[in-house]
Amino acid sequence: MALAKLESVSYSYPDADVPALDCVSLDIDPGEIVLVLGSSGSGKSTLLRALGGLVPHFHGGTFAGRVDVCGLDTRRCRPAELAGLTAFVFQDPDEQVVLNRVDRDVAFGLENIGVPAREIMPRALRALAAVGADELALRRTTELSGGELQRLCLAAALALAPRLLLLDEPTSQLDPAAAEDLLDLAVGLGRERGTAVVVSEHRPARALERADRVLFIERGRVIIDADVDHAEAWLRANRPEYVLPPPDADDLPSCAEVVCRLSRVTYAYGDRLAVRRRDLELRRGEIVALLGPNGSGKTTLAKLAAGLLEPQAGRVERRGRASLLLQDAGRHVVCDRVQDEVALSVGGDGTRARSALALVGLADKIKRHPRDLSSGERERLALAAVLVSDPDLLVLDEPTKGADPPRKRELATLLRTEAERRATLVVTHDVDFARAVADRCVDLTAARETAYV
Amino acid sequence: MSPGAALAVLTSVVVAALLAAHTVSLAVIALVLALICLRARGRYAWVYVVGITISALTIFVLTPFVETLGSHPLWTGPVIPVVGQLDVTREELWSGAHGALRLAAFGLAFASYALLIDHDRLLGAASFARRFVLTVVLATRLAPTLERDARGLAESLRARGVEVHGLRGRGRLLSPLIGGSLERSLNLAEAMEARGFGRPGRTHVPAARWGAADRLACVGAAALIVVGALWL
Repeated sequence: MALAKLESVSYSYPDADVPALDCVSLDIDPGEIVLVLGSSGSGKSTLLRALGGLVPHFHGGTFAGRVDVCGLDTRRCRPAELAGLTAFVFQDPDEQVVLNRVDRDVAFGLENIGVPAREIMPRALRALAAVGADELALRRTTELSGGELQRLCLAAALALAPRLLLLDEPTSQLDPAAAEDLLDLAVGLGRERGTAVVVSEHRPARALERADRVLFIERGRVIIDADVDHAEAWLRANRPEYVLPPPDADDLPSCAEVVCRLSRVTYAYGDRLAVRRRDLELRRGEIVALLGPNGSGKTTLAKLAAGLLEPQAGRVERRGRASLLLQDAGRHVVCDRVQDEVALSVGGDGTRARSALALVGLADKIKRHPRDLSSGERERLALAAVLVSDPDLLVLDEPTKGADPPRKRELATLLRTEAERRATLVVTHDVDFARAVADRCVDLTAARETAYV
Repeated sequence: MSPGAALAVLTSVVVAALLAAHTVSLAVIALVLALICLRARGRYAWVYVVGITISALTIFVLTPFVETLGSHPLWTGPVIPVVGQLDVTREELWSGAHGALRLAAFGLAFASYALLIDHDRLLGAASFARRFVLTVVLATRLAPTLERDARGLAESLRARGVEVHGLRGRGRLLSPLIGGSLERSLNLAEAMEARGFGRPGRTHVPAARWGAADRLACVGAAALIVVGALWL
């Protein structure tokens, strides 16, 4: 018998013109690992929310059809009543942590579902140990890195011992090795306990290796629902960007002047050393990818290059204007209109702002409020806001976070097209993207450098 | 000391400050609380202390101009339409100091609660009104979260070559900060619902038993209120 069942489910968010889910029907069996693919805004997260009962209870809107999870109709049961049967890990781990200490935050869900008092802490600690985060148990949640927070959120979900585990881009902030570990863990525990796992991913390669079944969603409709072999064949024929690595970067003209040179730079946050005696040279016309595991100092080095931080030792020489696209920059919007937000970087020049917005495909949104844009559109808005000033040095920190494969290709093409105008430094966990966009990669793990052209 | 007992002591200090009639008593209470606050780790203690000091000084400076009190003028100013004659008397200064110190004591007691009490344990120890306690705990986190968001916004603007200068520049961050905060609160509420918050039959991690120090602190708190009402 199916663990979860969707029957002709259609759903529209309040004030939305088009449905987020359009007549979706499917069954999910116990122990099944289901990978949900699709572009940004296609309805992947909404499908997960429907399975968790959050749609329509939390979001309102128009709902038709029926969702049964473990025999319970989600329209009759509130999401809180489904908690324990289902567990959800959302995209942004920072916004799902409730309490201040790690072990108590994991215990929060167990308390809510009424686990006997004496069992709560041992279960919370076991879940933390299962995700390899037992040493974090007594840490403050505000002190955790993005990767550590994602582990915490997974532990909080696993502690509930759910029958249906819903993971919405659970590896977005993790380096490749940590992402593989986390997926292995979720899938392994799922298989061990017979838990069905539904995971939405923008980096599908590693999830495809572990899934039993693949759903591809487009404009709220399930376009394909097949086992991995059939789905891969379909993707290869119809959506190759999801399975084939992007083509490597083309040759660029030989590099010219040095735009930024970091010599033996060191930086520490208090007593935590982030960057130690690093050298880096960035020339006009080249794109350099900065790789490395979580906590290896990539963001700090990017900030040093862009002049946002001053080195505590060593020297940074920079020529011309530098702009940096920070992680989650889409969250940091200041103005009430898209065009004004971009124009802010160039003293209110609307013409330049419109050109930059056209470059990132947002020409038709100039009058919208930035907060009304989808998360993917907001990231593009943030990119336009740094491109508009035509900087000599462009630094991008995790520009593909939350971006679907077609969007990554577009971004790579855009950066390559613009490459000759400036020196570009891209901080990323996405090795395929690095290969597609960069002339050379600097890996902070072993301070190793690879030339791609 | 358990967070419940610590909260009882801080509450009694606030009540004593509200009841105290002598300005010197208020000054002592405010000074003790300021010293307690500064024991907290990190720079937030200074943010609270500086903010409270500025608010208290504002009360002290404005009070003589909005009150009409006393017969010992120290300064007599011009006549302002509607407001009347501006003057500063010794009694008004004293009243201003009293109000400022009371506000400082209240603010510093809140700062001590925000900085030094373990809110998770406080929530765990709450045997009733847990929803209310959780709301207060989350609201307490608002100030540091807003400060972190403000830093993120300013850094994001600097990264684009836009410097945030002066009061006007910082004022422009207010609206996006509130917008971001509302967005965050909705996401948190959704996550809490998905984690079973609000469902009946809730249990909680067993709270640590109260020791002699906790009981003594509660007796001291009650005594402080009596002392505040009678002698301070």
